[in-house]
Amino acid sequence: MTVMPRKPKHLGPEYQGCVDSMGTHDKLRVAILGSGNIGTDLLVKTLRSPFLACTLFAGRNLASPGMAKASSLGVRVSDLGITAIIREPECCDLVFDATSAADHIHHWAVLEKLGKTVVDMTPSQVGEMCIPALNLEDCLNYRNVNMVTCGGQASVPLAYFIGQVHPEVEYIEVVSSIASRSAGPATRINIDEYIETTEKALRVFAKAERAKSILILNPAQPCIDMQTTVFAKVKHLDLERLRPLVEKMVRRIQAYVPGYQLAVAPILENGRAVITVKVQGRGDYLPRYAGNLDIINCAAIAMAEAYARARIPVLKDPQYGGSPHD
Amino acid sequence: MHLNATDIVREDCEQVAEEVSTLEALRGECLLITGGTGFVGTWLTELLAFLNDRYCLGVRIILLSRHVQDFRDRVPHLALRADVSLIQQDVRHVTELPSEVGWIIHAAGTPDNRQHASDPLRVMQVIVNGTASVLEASTRLPDLKKLLNTSSGLVNGPQPLDLAGIPETSFRGLDCGSLAAVYPEAKRLAETLCVAYRNQHRLPIVNARPFAFVGPYQLLDRPWAINNFIRDALQGGPIRIQGDGETVRSYMYGSDMAWWLLRILVRGAVGASYNVGSSRGVTLAQLAEMVAGGLPKRPRVLLGVSPVQRLHHSRLVPDVGLAQDSLSLRQTVDLETALRRTIWWHELRGRVEGADRGSKSP
Amino acid sequence: MTSVLISDPTLRDGNHAVQHQLDARQIALYAAAAEAARIPIVEVGHGNGLGASSLQVGESLLGDREMLETARKRLVNSKLGVHAMPGFATINRDLKQAVAVGVDVFRVGVHCTEADIAQRHIGYLRDKGREVYGVLMMSHMASKEVLAEEALKMESYGAEGVVLMDSAGAYLPCDVTEKIRELVKSLSIAVGFHAHNNLGMAVANSLAAVQAGATIVDGTARGFGAGSGNAPVEVIVAVLEKMAFSTGVDLYGVLDASDIAEKGLMRVIPSITSVSVVSGLAGVFSGFAKHVERISGEYGVDARDVFFELGRRNVVAGQEDLIIEVAIELAAGKRGGGCI
Repeated sequence: MTVMPRKPKHLGPEYQGCVDSMGTHDKLRVAILGSGNIGTDLLVKTLRSPFLACTLFAGRNLASPGMAKASSLGVRVSDLGITAIIREPECCDLVFDATSAADHIHHWAVLEKLGKTVVDMTPSQVGEMCIPALNLEDCLNYRNVNMVTCGGQASVPLAYFIGQVHPEVEYIEVVSSIASRSAGPATRINIDEYIETTEKALRVFAKAERAKSILILNPAQPCIDMQTTVFAKVKHLDLERLRPLVEKMVRRIQAYVPGYQLAVAPILENGRAVITVKVQGRGDYLPRYAGNLDIINCAAIAMAEAYARARIPVLKDPQYGGSPHD
Repeated sequence: MHLNATDIVREDCEQVAEEVSTLEALRGECLLITGGTGFVGTWLTELLAFLNDRYCLGVRIILLSRHVQDFRDRVPHLALRADVSLIQQDVRHVTELPSEVGWIIHAAGTPDNRQHASDPLRVMQVIVNGTASVLEASTRLPDLKKLLNTSSGLVNGPQPLDLAGIPETSFRGLDCGSLAAVYPEAKRLAETLCVAYRNQHRLPIVNARPFAFVGPYQLLDRPWAINNFIRDALQGGPIRIQGDGETVRSYMYGSDMAWWLLRILVRGAVGASYNVGSSRGVTLAQLAEMVAGGLPKRPRVLLGVSPVQRLHHSRLVPDVGLAQDSLSLRQTVDLETALRRTIWWHELRGRVEGADRGSKSP
Repeated sequence: MTSVLISDPTLRDGNHAVQHQLDARQIALYAAAAEAARIPIVEVGHGNGLGASSLQVGESLLGDREMLETARKRLVNSKLGVHAMPGFATINRDLKQAVAVGVDVFRVGVHCTEADIAQRHIGYLRDKGREVYGVLMMSHMASKEVLAEEALKMESYGAEGVVLMDSAGAYLPCDVTEKIRELVKSLSIAVGFHAHNNLGMAVANSLAAVQAGATIVDGTARGFGAGSGNAPVEVIVAVLEKMAFSTGVDLYGVLDASDIAEKGLMRVIPSITSVSVVSGLAGVFSGFAKHVERISGEYGVDARDVFFELGRRNVVAGQEDLIIEVAIELAAGKRGGGCI
């Protein structure tokens, strides 16, 4: 069963000719390492992308549900993990690593030598931190980019603008609440790493001296969507300048994360700037309430597509990349 | 005076290995250990390495595990041996085993009760699916002489307080609706899988039910009473006992455990189950005193540090009459010696294993 | 005679009542009084525990280290305790510092269905040789079977006891009896109870807990704590002694300590306010009270409506950011946005 690419809605009619003329040989060939929920969700998104082709879905267990899904979609599978790529390095140009931080270190050692580009979904902190809404273009210069955390993807672009409008801001805080069911054993045992990585991204991108990240799990049924609030302590918040920038940033993120929306527009409450966003997932493979997992996967796809388009200059679209101030 | 920690273990192997002729059937054979890099696997490898070196037994050891690199880092003196090879694999996904394997000790499956609570699905999959995978793959081995399944003393269910040692034949019910049932129920099902494979595929399977052990290579971060006592002692004490310390346990030293398992593998009757452990029950209060005695500067022991109103006493002590009578096995290292040597080993290694291992893949 | 361990979070839960503004003088004052009263455990810190000073739940006047060091100096026989929630507190930034300051007792708190996020934190503290208890917060939101399982997890990680918190003050005594009994049956470690007084049940609930087998009970001076406050420690001690339980606490000492706290720490003596009754009925974390009151005032909505809506959404501790969203929605509804 072959999956034909559909023309994405966000491209204008002027790209009609280029998309239709693109066969598989023009697409960026992508391998996915890790056949769990994240990898399988990435697979479905990759197949939907007009710029990416999934040439290999590699895990450790052919009997896993992800492998069954991949096979049913006509994608080549392997249970040899990274060895599948070692044996046939020409099968792919870019690799999504959806395994674990410990495994990624080993994978990167191999893939770097093979000259592959890697989008790292794990909290390994090896590669360059990638927040597509902010540094997509810059990340094209790196062969290994790291997708930070779900809370980071949701909040850092907004924190960036608070920092732009108020360079005097010393402290930014982000609270994310996610459905209990969207946090598996790997997330739960690594909550401290999640917090530390998110805080690092806030300090680097928003240029805040101090940053704090808080993660809350809520077991309510039906499951809650991901909710993220960004706070900053600002005495005279310039809402007039901030609001349009935030709204523009939200639209920009919605281009690659359709379920991202502003729940509380920037306000000043009790001496703190407050912005709240909600993320509902697309429901590709992961359930809809797992907006936290979806946002990081969507961001990863956006980055991979940027790598793809960088090889095809005519398709460079300022709506995707460019500087955040466009 | 010991030069280093590995000398302690080597000495232990020397002490325990007697009547090596009883293991003659292993000469020149290929032995696979699943879960081979854990406490059981590491001790077995140490013992086999010693037997190979001292008695030229010529056993080729294959260790199958998910944590191969960790093994290489922790015990290079074993990992780099010519007679030891490592297979990095998750036991749940085993489909084929090397055809030269003649003997298998299936020891995959963690007794870490924190994982039983936090990741019960993985625990059950490793024990049930892992055992099924290994048994299925074993049906295609041309030269398999024996497979030893390591079950658990917990399959018998709760031990009556007035029963000195629980024999292999005594069974009481588990509440299968409780999270606490995850590990024992999985182990019970694994045993029953072995029965089915033995019967239907004529696989030569013998079953061991290990109880509790102490010794080098046991990670102290697992919050069992004995580990807590040892760790408290290594940190200078005081050794803190919760409750009244009347719970009864027994502990066998690693070298005795490894020796027993090898003998059961070679000489155990197909279809039989053997308890492996110490029949000498001690209360936790007695245990704490023994641990304290294992240090040059004896730490204090504090009883009843937290107020537990309903005192939960439990008893877990095996009756090892079957292993003793039919296989002439005996416990050679008494508990005081076991504790002393374990403490020395930790001291020589210089640090207490930390509990903070979150970033390792689960 | 059965003994009950009294743990006193006046200087932690009480911080909720003053928006985490307890100062060094106040901490020193009460810590000294608690030491004199032979209160076994004195818990100190931001209302939400280590590392919780934040814009989300409120910033404390003093940093964690300063609060703890101040109390540490005054406590000799009494133990210094802290509350710590994974998700707020991290091992590297918060637990390490608390261990270094010399905290004796760590109570690692999670929402009552999420015990596994505490595995590493409990393990780390056990490794450092500290007394560690697990705390199941907002425990009215889970069945007794689920609570027992989550408590079992904490036991497996090395906790010496598990404390059920009635963070919303939502329980009736029969609820407490049922749940504590289940835990006592399932665990081999100690079981404890932490009451809130939103529905006037704090003392009765604490007694029900003890009669069901709990051996750890929390109490604060005059009930100084979040929402309508906790079970008053001086009353708990008196009643337990009357019922022939031994606490080891000096009666006159704890009465004096509460007098001192009343004069020196509190702006008002805790009472059951209308808003607190509603938050108890709605099952919302008591720590939300001040935030809900303030934000409701800003948006011109009834704080009680906000609480009921938050309860309907099953909000948990640490989700204070939801208050603004709810207030905005209710305000929009009020302005005629909600016609059928």
